[in-house]
Order: sequence, then structure tokens, then C-alpha cells
Amino acid sequence: MHNTAKAPSLSRNGRLKRELPFHLMLLPGVIVVFIYMYIPLSGLIIAFQKFIPAKGLFGNQKWIGWDNFIYLYQLPGAISALRNTVIIAFFKMILHLIIPITVSILLNEIRSSAFRRTAQTLIYLPHFLSWIILGGILIDILSPNGGFVNRILGLFGVQPIFFLGSNDYFRFTLIATDVWKEFGFNTIVYLAAITNIDPNQYEAATIDGANRFQKMIYITLPNMRMIIVLMMVLSLGNVLNAGFDQVFNLYSKQVYSTGDILDTFIYRIGLIDAQFGVATAMGMFKSVISTLFISVSYYCAYRFADYRIF
Amino acid sequence: MKKLSVFLAVMLAMALLSSACLAEAADPLGKYDEMITVHFVRDTDDTLDANYFSQHPDKTMTDNLWCDLYRDVLNINVEYDWIVKSGDEYDQKLNTAIAVGDIPEFVNVSTLQLKQLVEADAIMPLEEIYEKYASPFAKEIMESTGPSPFNAATIDGHLYGLPNVDSPLMIADLLWVRTDWLEKLGLPIPTTMDEVLATAEAFANADFDGNGVKDTLGIAIAKDLWGQLFSLRGFFNAFDAYPGIWVEDENGNLVYGSTLPGAKDALRTLNEMYKKGLIDPEFGVKDGGKVAEATTAGKCGLFYGAQWNSIYPLQSCVNLDKDAQWRAVSIVSATDKPLKAQTNVGTLSWTVVRKDVAHPEAVMKMFNLFIEKNWGPDNENGIYYAPLDSESIWKLSPVVPTNPHKNDGAFLDLEQYRKDGDESKVQGEALSILKKLQAFESGSEDGFALWGWERIYGAEGAYGVLIDYDAKGMTQDNLFVGAPTETMTSKMSTLTDLQDEVFTKIILGEEDVDAFDKFVSDFNTLGGADITREVNEWYATVK
Repeated sequence: MHNTAKAPSLSRNGRLKRELPFHLMLLPGVIVVFIYMYIPLSGLIIAFQKFIPAKGLFGNQKWIGWDNFIYLYQLPGAISALRNTVIIAFFKMILHLIIPITVSILLNEIRSSAFRRTAQTLIYLPHFLSWIILGGILIDILSPNGGFVNRILGLFGVQPIFFLGSNDYFRFTLIATDVWKEFGFNTIVYLAAITNIDPNQYEAATIDGANRFQKMIYITLPNMRMIIVLMMVLSLGNVLNAGFDQVFNLYSKQVYSTGDILDTFIYRIGLIDAQFGVATAMGMFKSVISTLFISVSYYCAYRFADYRIF
Repeated sequence: MKKLSVFLAVMLAMALLSSACLAEAADPLGKYDEMITVHFVRDTDDTLDANYFSQHPDKTMTDNLWCDLYRDVLNINVEYDWIVKSGDEYDQKLNTAIAVGDIPEFVNVSTLQLKQLVEADAIMPLEEIYEKYASPFAKEIMESTGPSPFNAATIDGHLYGLPNVDSPLMIADLLWVRTDWLEKLGLPIPTTMDEVLATAEAFANADFDGNGVKDTLGIAIAKDLWGQLFSLRGFFNAFDAYPGIWVEDENGNLVYGSTLPGAKDALRTLNEMYKKGLIDPEFGVKDGGKVAEATTAGKCGLFYGAQWNSIYPLQSCVNLDKDAQWRAVSIVSATDKPLKAQTNVGTLSWTVVRKDVAHPEAVMKMFNLFIEKNWGPDNENGIYYAPLDSESIWKLSPVVPTNPHKNDGAFLDLEQYRKDGDESKVQGEALSILKKLQAFESGSEDGFALWGWERIYGAEGAYGVLIDYDAKGMTQDNLFVGAPTETMTSKMSTLTDLQDEVFTKIILGEEDVDAFDKFVSDFNTLGGADITREVNEWYATVK
């Protein structure tokens, strides 16, 4: 596609005729995207209204300009929700890369395939539990009053820690439990990449006298480079998604200052307090920031890793 | 063709006739010729499960005594579009329903939700229906606490919601204390704040179950802070602060009771209690039901709450430990000002009717029947309100307008009986309560299940304390009883969220007590100042 200069000298009409079936095949997808992604964007006008739902989206609503945004700025929780979102999402992104890569390389080095397969299955099971269920389980096992984890810590003389209620530990708990839940599943992607590496490279290295660790560093990792960058760029889309399901099921008023994220904040303002204008303003703000982040990181991925999706 | 027009003519005549009948008769308890179905939504709670459904496993929310009664007497079939487990969930689900315009035919709402529904032009004015269909007795009951339950639902001169009236006094806080523990430790019943603090500390440090661990709480608090169980209202009242209601300042203007300086003192004291280990560090995540596990297990002997707390959850405490004894006593003052216990408009919900409903008067007839059966001259309270074997059965009705003076009236009747022993003068609800007290005093196994009632209506019962509050003028009413103002509708719930969050953090020491001052200024910038202005504009019109 890049060397358009040498493209056959088909007329514009001729080319259209040739490619028409492909365009038609694309059409259903485009229509669906248009209906579910672009049309709802018109709802953004709510951010500038004192919105009364029953009057309808295009009804006779009162326009209030930037008032909802100013109100948001004054609301004490809004800034900390933004900060929490960035911190939590950032650490989740980093750890969701490092830990699955490490685990997949280590698993790959294990000789016994029975053990490898069992381990693989066991670590990716939590992925299939919803946060509703895990929330209940975690509240119990992390409880400072006789929770499993605190009892173990107690054996080492550690005072009970209120993981879900202390602002010192809440973010850590969120990140740790999320990584625990998802790392097994992510590992599979990298394991698949590793199996695709040409065995000849390892044989050649063995003949050259490389030990296992050197083979890991000089063969396995470089071969995984493309998939790692791909996963990283894909995960950038989540830069402001710190995980609504998880936070919603684990947080409480006393950890709002470290655990409240944009999505839970929007949920409370919109669905609980019924301040639809303010909630939409927050959602819009989030989208704008996300777009910015994604554009910049996509550019960086292209610039420094020479990777582009389109 | 001729046949058809004759048919139409007959139909028209019949329709005219029946509407004429309706217009003239307007029988408050008139039975519909054809069965009509009314759709409500509702929440349910632990007390219904514990006291009713566990004993009547074959009954359901739509097949029970009350639904049968509405069907048999009025030919009204009650159905529920949805049922959720708690009041919190109910509000969430209802708010969402209001937002998407999926409004139930008949629904119980708060004044805020009522205002939103009126703004949405979704519900109908009910003043004509009330005038026409309310029975004289229902009117008498519903108007017995004055006009405020109606004012709160009146917007632009139209009444949009029928108040599920209740007693304003009933929700005043009491101090529930385990007297068997007091005796063990040789402590008096606390009458000052210092004694309350000392009691809390003594309870927390004592080891009543002898397991060698200090695992009792000083005072129990639930995460919603201002509920009717494990509340902090009574504690704040001690410091001359009145969270959630509007009171007069020294200039006669209304101010929001949570922002009064006394609230800061209350928070400081609570934080000191927390530092001493008297408060559960996990209270911020525990609702009333969860905290109740502590009182049931004998891990807590002191808390603020409403008069009914002995029935739930304390009954389960004494069921497990026959030596346990609780008593509700007057809340105490921490300042030199006279003590006032805060009350509110007793009405907590208003039944509204969607605009397109064909038989809006059905709900008024249900109101009439509910009031008639429970407090009417036929003395059927013992069957329909809270019979011995199926406590809480009244909650099965989708509408619950309650005689506001039923409880204090019953208590006074029983007091009179305790003086002169004349059982013939005890009637209606008082009589059914007297039977419960007698069953308890008989010492039988079944009777012991009525311990909770004895704690409310017995000689040292909770109602005695409430009546005392009233008689001595020790109550602080909510002075704003109008419909929610414009800014209140949109901003108030965010402000109360903020308040609860900041208060919780201060108690837990996550923030310094000076965060209260920041809260007050945030409250004002985030709409509180506008609300205060609107509230005072309203106040000027009624003063």
C-alpha cells in the first residue's frame, strides 16, 4: 500500500469497482460503530445543561454553560478521584506487563509439562471469577478481625492490617488483587509467543555455549519484543480505566481519598445523586484526557519502538 | 352496522352511568366491580425475613394477609414490578428508574424524588382524590400531626404525594445500654456525657465473656451514621448539633444542623474515643445488620438508636444470652445548654401516582383500609398490625400510613392500667400489646420472644423516655418542612455524602478535626449557601 506511485494505472472508477465488495463487507461494522459509538456522543450536551431526564435528551432543557465543570472543580472528591485513577491504572498497567512476562518465561523453563500445564490452569482460574464474588471473598480473608491473611501475618508478630479500610494500604490491595486475578490469563498470550520462537536459535546458542539464563536474555526476550509492545499499546487505552467493578465492590467511604476513581465517582454523582449534568461533564472530561494520553503514548510507541497499529 | 351502534350506545350509557356513580358515591372503601391490578415497587428488610417469612414459609410478598385483604375488600390486586433487599438499593433503583422514565404506577418516594418527578411532569396532583376519597377517620389520623406532612409534598399549590404519616417523636434517639453489664461493673445508668464516655471505656476494657481478650466495643456505630440503629444523632444532639435537619440560629434564621459548631466538638470527642479503641475501626464498611452481629454476640453494650431496637436486633442478643438485659435511657447533654433530642417530620415516604394511571383513587382506598383495619373501631389491630406469631406483618402492605399517636397513646393506656389494673379500659393496639406483655411476664418460652416489646412498653420502657422528651419540651423539630427547594433537589444528596465522608474520616483520625471547618466552607460553596437562602425564603413565608 505504501508504494502507491507504482500502483497500476487503474482509473478512479475502475479501482472503486474492484474494491466495492470490500467496502460493502466493511459497512455493517461501520454502521454498528456509528450507532453505538458516535450517536451516543450527542449525549454530551447533557454536560452543559441542568438536565431533567423526563424532558428527554433534546427536550426543553435549561442551558447552564460551564457551570457543571466549575462545580466539579469545586467538589473536593473530583481531583483526588483523578489522581487515584492515574496512580492505580498506571501501576496496574506496568505490573500487568512485567509479571505475566516473567511468569511466562519461568513457566517456559520448566521441564515437566504436567506441572507446567497444571500451574498454568491454576493461575488463570481467578480470571473467571467476577469481582462481585471476589469482593465478598476478599472482604472476609482480608478482614483485620480474624481474616486469613492477618492471621498469617499475626504468626510473624505483625499487627492486624485493615487492607480495605486503611488509606495506606487500599491502593496496594487494589493493585495486588487485580494483578493476582489477571496475571495468569495474560501469561497465556506470552507463552503462545514463546512457543512460536524458532528452536534452531536455541540449538545454535547451546552449541555456542550459552547457558539457560543467557538464552532467556538474548533469545526469548528479544523474540517477544513485538508482542510486548503490542500489549503495551493496547493497554494504553485503559490509562484512565482503573477498574470500576473491582473498586466498586471493595471500597467504602473511609478510603474514598485513596480509592475513589473517576468511574465510581461518576457512578455516585450520576446514578445515586441523580446529578446527570455533572456526571456527564466528568465523563466528558475523562474522555478528553484519555484521548490525549492515548495519542501521546501511541506516538511514543511509534517513535521509540517503531511500532504502529495503523 | 345498526347492531354496532346500539352496542356503542349501550356502552356509552354504561360508562356515563358508572362515572356518575363514582362522582356521587366516592365510597372511601368502595369495592371495584371488576378486579383492578395496581403495580407498586418496594424494598424488604431483615425484620420481615426474621419475624414473618421465616415463620410463614408459604407466604410471599404478593400472597399474604394484606394482599388478600386488599383483594377481598376492595377488589384491588397488588403486584410489584420489582422488589429489592434494602432501602439503599431501593433508592438507587428508583433513581435509575426515574432517570430513564420507567416510573412505576404507584410508588413510595422521598420528597426529593417527589420533586424530581414533578419537574419531570410524571406524576399527578392528588388533592382532589384526597378530598373525595379519604375517609373521615383516615383524614383525622393523617392530619393529626398538623399540615407538615402535606406541605412537604405540596408544590405550586398541588398535593403530589399521600403521606405515609408516622410519629415525629418516634425517631428521636435513645441511649440503649446493657444494664446487666452496668451492674457487674457497679456503674450507674449514665446521666452525663462524662458518664457515657466512662461507661463506653469500662465496657471496652471489661472481659465479660471471660475469654481473656478485650473484644468488646465501647459504642457501636453503623456506616450510615444517622439511621435509626447504631446512630450518632443522639451523640451530636448532646453537643447542641442536629445533623440533617434545619434549626434556628440566634438571629432566627434557619441553618443546617450538621454545620453547627457543636458538631466539631462531637467529632473531636468521637475521635478521642476511637483513639482509645472504643469504636470499631471497621465501622465505615458495616451497615446496621452487620453491626448487629456485635450486639447479638455480646460484644457491645452501648449505642444510640430508636425505640424499636429492642425488637430488632436486641431480641436475638437476649435469646442467646438469657442473662443479658438492655434498657433505653434518655440521651445526655455534654454542654450546659438544655438537652434537645432531634426529631423530624415523622413521614418518611409519600405515595405518588403516575400520570396515566386509570384508577389513582385506588391508593387512597388502600390508605383508608390500612388505617381502618389497624386503628379503626373494630379493634383488629391484633390481627393486621403485629400479631403475636407474625411480627412486622404490617410491612406487607405497600402503603403504611400509621397513626402518629398510636404508640404514645398505647403506652399511656398501659401506664394507666399499671396504676389501676382495669383491663377493660385497654383497647385496640394497647390491648394487643398488653397481651404480649402478659405473655412475656408469664415466663414461658414463647413469651420470652416478646422481651423486645416489654422493653418498649413495660414500666421502664423506651416509650416512657420518649413521652418524657415530649412532655419536657426536650425535642428539636426540623424547622424546614416544605417541599425540597430547587438547589436542594440537585445538590443536597452530594452534600450529605460529602458530610458523611468527612465525618467518618475525622472519627477515624484520617483527617484532623479541623477538616470540619473545610467541610463547612465546602458545604457553602457547593450549593449549601443557595439552599440555606432558599430555605430561609420559605421560612419567611410561614413564620
